[in-house]
Amino acid sequence: MADVDDGTSAPAEPMDLVRLCLDEIVFVKLRGDRELKGRLHAYDGHCNLVLGDVEETIYVVEEDEDEEEVIRTIHKKSEMLFVRGDSVVLISPQGGS
Amino acid sequence: MENGNTTQAEGKDPSAFLSQIIGNSVTVKLNSGVIYKGELQSVDGYMNLALEKCEEHIDGAKKRCYGDAFLRGNNVMYISAD
Amino acid sequence: MATQLLPLELIDKCVGSKIWVVMKGDKEFSGTLVGFDDYVNMVLEDVTEFDYSGNHTKLSKILLNGNNICMLIPGGEGPVAAGS
Repeated sequence: MADVDDGTSAPAEPMDLVRLCLDEIVFVKLRGDRELKGRLHAYDGHCNLVLGDVEETIYVVEEDEDEEEVIRTIHKKSEMLFVRGDSVVLISPQGGS
Repeated sequence: MENGNTTQAEGKDPSAFLSQIIGNSVTVKLNSGVIYKGELQSVDGYMNLALEKCEEHIDGAKKRCYGDAFLRGNNVMYISAD
Repeated sequence: MATQLLPLELIDKCVGSKIWVVMKGDKEFSGTLVGFDDYVNMVLEDVTEFDYSGNHTKLSKILLNGNNICMLIPGGEGPVAAGS
């Protein structure tokens, strides 16, 4: 499955779905409660990704004054990002709703 | 290794199961415990999956919907035919 | 030496019967083994999933990723029947 052929139209294998996302805005879920939204510039068979105009959301569990757990979100923006494939969990076109 | 002839004949090994459930609605559980339900579009040798009309469930609560979703196979614990 | 039973041959003998699967981490499955491949990915039928919290989930037919399997117990009905 390593190489993707450009001829086919139907998504015969999962990687074809990623190919259809090229140059589109994608939503990417990563290990460690992180999410990315950005334009998919490039990918490979390991799911290594290059994303442009990225917004990263990180969810962290913290304790407030009453020692109760609260979820804090951290937002970061990057012009260009390389994502190592092994941290990828999910890729979806258009971003989540 | 060679599976016994019987198992091959019945065609019920993992790859036969996968080709049998393509197009059906499935439940996928990841090692993290997150569950995805959707229509199985395709699978490859890494157990990467493409799901259509995909719903994300975390701790039993429905979180998100994705029109299409690609799931990376290394995170998959099981695929269940609904 | 000819009588030696290889591990995967043992699993092959389990096809069609109940098997108890213990995963890495606190998760277990029991069900009827339908088939498996070289990676010990397995197809199971009439499955019960046992959570670390003691929850049971019934599943009709699943493909279980072999990656996180730790131990296979032929004929096992799961942790409840084993009295744990």
